[in-house]
Amino acid sequence: MERTEFQEKVIAAALAEGFTECEVYYRGGTSFEVLILEGEIASYENSRQEGLSFRGNFQGRTGYAYTERLEEAAIPFLLTGAKGNAALLTPEEKEELYEGEESYPLLVGVHEGLERLTPEEKIVAAKRMEQAALAGAEEIASLDYCVLGTALTEVAIKNSKGLDVSFAKNFATAYVSAIAKKGEETKTGSFFWKDRNWEGFDPEKTGREAAKRAAAHLGAASVPSGKYAVILDGKPMAALLGAFCGVFFAENAQKGFSLLQGKAGTKIASEQVTLRDDALLAGGYASTPFDSEGVSGKNKAIIEKGELKTLLYNRKSAKKDGVPSTGNGFKAALTGSVKTACTNFYLQKGEHTVERLIQEMQNGLLLTDFMGLHAGTNSVSGDFSLSAEGFLVENGQITRPVEQITIAGNFYRLLEKIEAVGEDLYFSSGGIGSPSVLAREMDIAGL
Amino acid sequence: MTAALESGADFAEVYAEETKRGHIAMVNGKVETALSGLDYGAGVRLFFGTHAIYGFTNDLSEENLIRIAKEGAAAMKGDRIYEPKGWRKMVKRCINPVRILPDSVAKGEKAEQLRLAAEAAKSYDPAISQTRTGFLEVQKHVLVANTEGIWGEEDRVRSRFTVEAVASSATEKQSGHLAPGGSEGYELFDRISVEAAAREAARTAVTMLKAKPCPAGQFPVVIDNGFGGVIFHEACGHGLEATAVARNASVFAGKLGEQIASPLVTAIDDGTIPNGWGSAEMDDEGTPTARNILIENGILKSYLVDRMNGRRMGAAITGSARRQDYRFAPTSRMTNTFIAAGESTPAEIIAATEYGLYAKQMGGGSVDPATGSFNFAVLEGYLIRNGKIAEPVRGATLIGKGAEVLLQIDMVGNNLARAQGMCGSKSGSIPTDVGQPMIRVGQMTVGGRG
Repeated sequence: MERTEFQEKVIAAALAEGFTECEVYYRGGTSFEVLILEGEIASYENSRQEGLSFRGNFQGRTGYAYTERLEEAAIPFLLTGAKGNAALLTPEEKEELYEGEESYPLLVGVHEGLERLTPEEKIVAAKRMEQAALAGAEEIASLDYCVLGTALTEVAIKNSKGLDVSFAKNFATAYVSAIAKKGEETKTGSFFWKDRNWEGFDPEKTGREAAKRAAAHLGAASVPSGKYAVILDGKPMAALLGAFCGVFFAENAQKGFSLLQGKAGTKIASEQVTLRDDALLAGGYASTPFDSEGVSGKNKAIIEKGELKTLLYNRKSAKKDGVPSTGNGFKAALTGSVKTACTNFYLQKGEHTVERLIQEMQNGLLLTDFMGLHAGTNSVSGDFSLSAEGFLVENGQITRPVEQITIAGNFYRLLEKIEAVGEDLYFSSGGIGSPSVLAREMDIAGL
Repeated sequence: MTAALESGADFAEVYAEETKRGHIAMVNGKVETALSGLDYGAGVRLFFGTHAIYGFTNDLSEENLIRIAKEGAAAMKGDRIYEPKGWRKMVKRCINPVRILPDSVAKGEKAEQLRLAAEAAKSYDPAISQTRTGFLEVQKHVLVANTEGIWGEEDRVRSRFTVEAVASSATEKQSGHLAPGGSEGYELFDRISVEAAAREAARTAVTMLKAKPCPAGQFPVVIDNGFGGVIFHEACGHGLEATAVARNASVFAGKLGEQIASPLVTAIDDGTIPNGWGSAEMDDEGTPTARNILIENGILKSYLVDRMNGRRMGAAITGSARRQDYRFAPTSRMTNTFIAAGESTPAEIIAATEYGLYAKQMGGGSVDPATGSFNFAVLEGYLIRNGKIAEPVRGATLIGKGAEVLLQIDMVGNNLARAQGMCGSKSGSIPTDVGQPMIRVGQMTVGGRG
């Protein structure tokens, strides 16, 4: 059934069943992905999917249910499920639906050039990445991954209070992971690109970078345990920000799952730290004119020069604190209710080149990757203990690659310790970004 | 499928599912989330020799499925036309009998179990400041049919209870959690005591609150049974999946018949354990699940092989092809994977360790299959001094390389236990059991802050 028609049918059926107000959130899209190995298509995927999530107020309580079956037969399942779920919740948890705003920021979501691209053109680009990676360094034995993908997603929200918004966006992604071998030693290195500007994509550079990174880590060894000055480059720092972004959610703070409750207006980080969540960032992966509740997207400083300015709010947590929503009420998936999520969440870049940071550090470690983020971090206490790799820096020079070490610390303490910030802002696949940062006195376990 | 074969594919498969899901979660004894939903979709997979293409959709009309098959096929060109074979229905073994379908139980009753658990955790110790409890239910109907004549259908039911307790002091927060479950119905709650599980989670949190940071360095590590099996899952299991082996991206590729682990190690992947979290009648290619011996007395015996990688490797399939749902093409994955019981008692293992780390509860971890480098977190750890368990330590991480650690296992206990996890990899997030008896690794790198 056509999307708008089905949304309207569900709303009408719900109101007839006794829901006082209700909302239908739709998400759909298409995606394409090709994996090239040894010059041939190793896997090829093509999809079209959609689904919708219903929420409605029944007898003073809010209930949710979702379906991927957009057929009339699924409507009774949705409404019965939502009623049963509503009954478990207390009236205090009732969610007021949002009538929407006068106007929303104008964002360009769909890049037409990308939509016009044929599968054959994408396959050719992926093959070029592979060739560049294989030729990118002498020690490259094979590739782990060489993937090119495109995706178009559309979100449309309609409710019984008049909210009616929709936004579509598309993206291309390329990822190469190369395996370098020397004797018995094996190292992997990867490079990732994501943008909607296909014309700006350089397949050769993507492949070559992955190869270079793999080869650069050959000959890596551990270092003696101890306290080190450390430069975290954008990739591991963005990963760390991603693992701990939840501490900035008011929802978590209110429940005691963050140590930042009541800290707004106080200094929680070094002067160098300005952390933003910008839903309107031009070309940003997570840019959106509205969140999953229909609240308009905004550009916020969460930390400005070390001072905590605001937490991130959805409508529910905002109401609790008596402030407006920051437009961070998102559903991770159809299966979820509205929680809090970041948009384009990044540490603002500074002025130093990486070379300059290395000079400033003189002796220490330049870390380029973390492993095990889902396991080695405690989102409540801020503690982390992570396996890392990178390079040893001696007298302001990179001297050799480093592996088999762990870095342990605490996210809150790290924010206080950041001494200098690079100009090399990097964004990960999820829209979380960071430049390189320098911090001293970090605990490293190695030999 | 006829449409797919007409395009020159030599194999075609349709996977379809309709899945009812339910989730109730409480924070501090109060319902926070109550969700239900319907997943619905199909995936079409075509093989052209050793190349595969995959497409999926929520629109299960005949017209749309044929369109998906043809669109996919347009990317490849086959050189001959194959004929589909007649269907053979799969014979059921009743591996996961279910007594009470979760959706037949009132939501209020489920919430009551969660409330009891929250209360038990909270009253365990005044330091317990927060609790989270949850119940997850899945009722999935799957159909797999392919041009080799497979026609398999299965109703898969899963239930899981989760509890997390957070202990706080003025400056610290520590948490403990447990999440028992199985391919079973609501009778899960007859098998487990939610209160006992909640108290256990609370005990870990309170113990760790008082713990000092773990010293870093290299020393013997004793890893306890149950979720401790995550070491094998990460350090070895992923490297035995044909997904990695076929691409020569595993340190265990080309090592069949060789000694890859200590002679004390026998490891098994068994998708047929009754009501096991990772058990099923068939895998997601419609092949009956099996008990596969991966390592026997340290010798590598078998990989986990799916249909496509079986073609690439010239190896027999092992009933190990799994996928999260219709959005994913299946690939070789673990089911219920464990190190078999040995002969030492846990007391003997501790007593034989002069100084080391006792990892009583493990957290999750990850591995790079190409290099075998892994890392995982210790949720509850203690130092061992003079053959006795001494003070608790927190913040420990174990890192190493799978191939090396397997050879360094120097004691294997007799107390095999399994625990439930969700394993994320190429074909999505799937339920897998990890397991082992208590084991000792002669030397490991431990990361910590002490």
